Amino acid sequence: MRVAKMSSGIFTIIRGETKQLATKNLVPSISVYGEKLVEFEGDEYRLWDAHRSKLGAMVLKKFEIPIAKDSRVLYLGAASGTTVSHVSDIIPEGIVYAVEFSTRTMRDLIQLCDKRPNIIPILADAEKPHLYAHIVETVDVIFQDVAQPNQAEIAALNAKQFLKKDGFLMLAIKARSIDTVVNPKKIFKEEIRKLERDFSVGFEVLKMHELTPYHEDHLGLVAKLHPRNQNNKI
Amino acid sequence: MNFITWFGVLTLDDNGILSKCDLFQKDRDELAIQLVNTEVVNANKPPSGFDFRSAAVECGFLESKEEYDALLRDVSIRAAKYQISLSGTTDMRIIQAVEALDDIDGVVNTLSERLAEWYGIYFPELGLTGDLLACFVSEYGSRSNIPPENGLYENAATSMGAELTGADEKLIKAFALNICNLYETRSKIETYLAEIMTSTGPNLASVAGTLLGARLISLAGGFERLAYFPSSTVQVIGANRALFKHLRARAPSPKHGIIYNHPLIKNAPWWQRGKIARAVAAKISLASRIDLYSGKLDESLEVELARKIEVIRLANPNAPKKSKKTIGVKSISKKIRRHG
Repeated sequence: MRVAKMSSGIFTIIRGETKQLATKNLVPSISVYGEKLVEFEGDEYRLWDAHRSKLGAMVLKKFEIPIAKDSRVLYLGAASGTTVSHVSDIIPEGIVYAVEFSTRTMRDLIQLCDKRPNIIPILADAEKPHLYAHIVETVDVIFQDVAQPNQAEIAALNAKQFLKKDGFLMLAIKARSIDTVVNPKKIFKEEIRKLERDFSVGFEVLKMHELTPYHEDHLGLVAKLHPRNQNNKI
Repeated sequence: MNFITWFGVLTLDDNGILSKCDLFQKDRDELAIQLVNTEVVNANKPPSGFDFRSAAVECGFLESKEEYDALLRDVSIRAAKYQISLSGTTDMRIIQAVEALDDIDGVVNTLSERLAEWYGIYFPELGLTGDLLACFVSEYGSRSNIPPENGLYENAATSMGAELTGADEKLIKAFALNICNLYETRSKIETYLAEIMTSTGPNLASVAGTLLGARLISLAGGFERLAYFPSSTVQVIGANRALFKHLRARAPSPKHGIIYNHPLIKNAPWWQRGKIARAVAAKISLASRIDLYSGKLDESLEVELARKIEVIRLANPNAPKKSKKTIGVKSISKKIRRHG
């Protein structure tokens, strides 16, 4: 068995033919959602199932993950915290603001926050960033995975308020929550056009790739603010 | 400019330099409640790019920047817990109750069938089903325990069933008792729903009935959401598969979803159901909106609905000829192939 580093805080554990994605466990000996813990040379790793995490799938799709060990991350659509827990592993010296709207899933998320020192839970609607503008500071990365029809607009609103000028937006677009009928490829094209042109902040898409076979009808993308915003920004 | 942060109201002068800090009390619970109750609007939100950490130290709220994460984390967790504690609304109680009811229905049918098979070995002539069977078995066990004054005594004495004794009898009685109790719980939930629905949604309860009303709230995800739905949505809630098939391919649109269980629709002849479903859905929408905003019972709703149904009945007395369905099926498969 050996461990290879893929990106800051993200590893693959290689055992013979099998490769598994993992992060270094920030809170050793605790498994968050039933994932396996693996020990190697004194460090404990938590296996990361890309089928349950769009960020995980993006790593396997060879995205460059712009998250460093001291990054500040705004995570929109935190759900029960499966992926958030791995983000928390990746940024031992940073902090993640986890926004989730459903009280039901927030119940699970809070139990995770209780155990980890670097997650700040926010029960709010990601469509209304002004509702948490008094809590969240400027961040290095926004990761967004919300199943809403206006995903692009939500990304723009949040980037405008919270994203550092040279920060990154990581977005998982779920075609089926935008339209159940139209061909996903067409939806992706349209959403990218929106991100580039429709809002008061525009994005420059750096990389995009569909997340199959881990997630059907999902597009992962990494973008940064387009230079045209740099001068006339607010 | 003035704006609000989680630790206080701050003022910047014209050069963008911090000129005034109105700090909140540094008590974690107070800060959490403050966090939840603060109405941030565009006018008082912090400018984008503002450095919270430096400001918190500069204002004297924190000794050092290192303190920032730990304190904000603790306050946020308290705030989220406080918000969750407020979320046990009437809606949620109705939804959980009606879902529990549906779960019991599913489970109790399976268990009752098992009991009928099982007890059939010992007393096949019994002729009871459902709650009657379960409560009967849990009370008497072996048919030899049925007293002479019971109407089933004769049947029991001459039954072709096997003897039920010892461990078998104990086991089957315990099994039956559980089922009998489930039926009892089910009827308690029904009573509970009837009470809570007539008090919180009197109009919805009168137009849709308490159970259907509760199911609609459950499927919509809350009272407010149901009231905000257009009535065409109300008409097809619960018919998701049929609806998406209709939207994706050229399948016919569903006439009714869960509202099919309304006696007016269920008991109507098939060719009137679509029209009646539309009328009922319209009145359900009105009813839930009245409930949401005034909460007073408006009896004219039911009267109007009855009149409308009468008009539909009179206008469509006879069944129309059914058109051939094969055409529709063909075009669906074509369309799917094109998408593929």
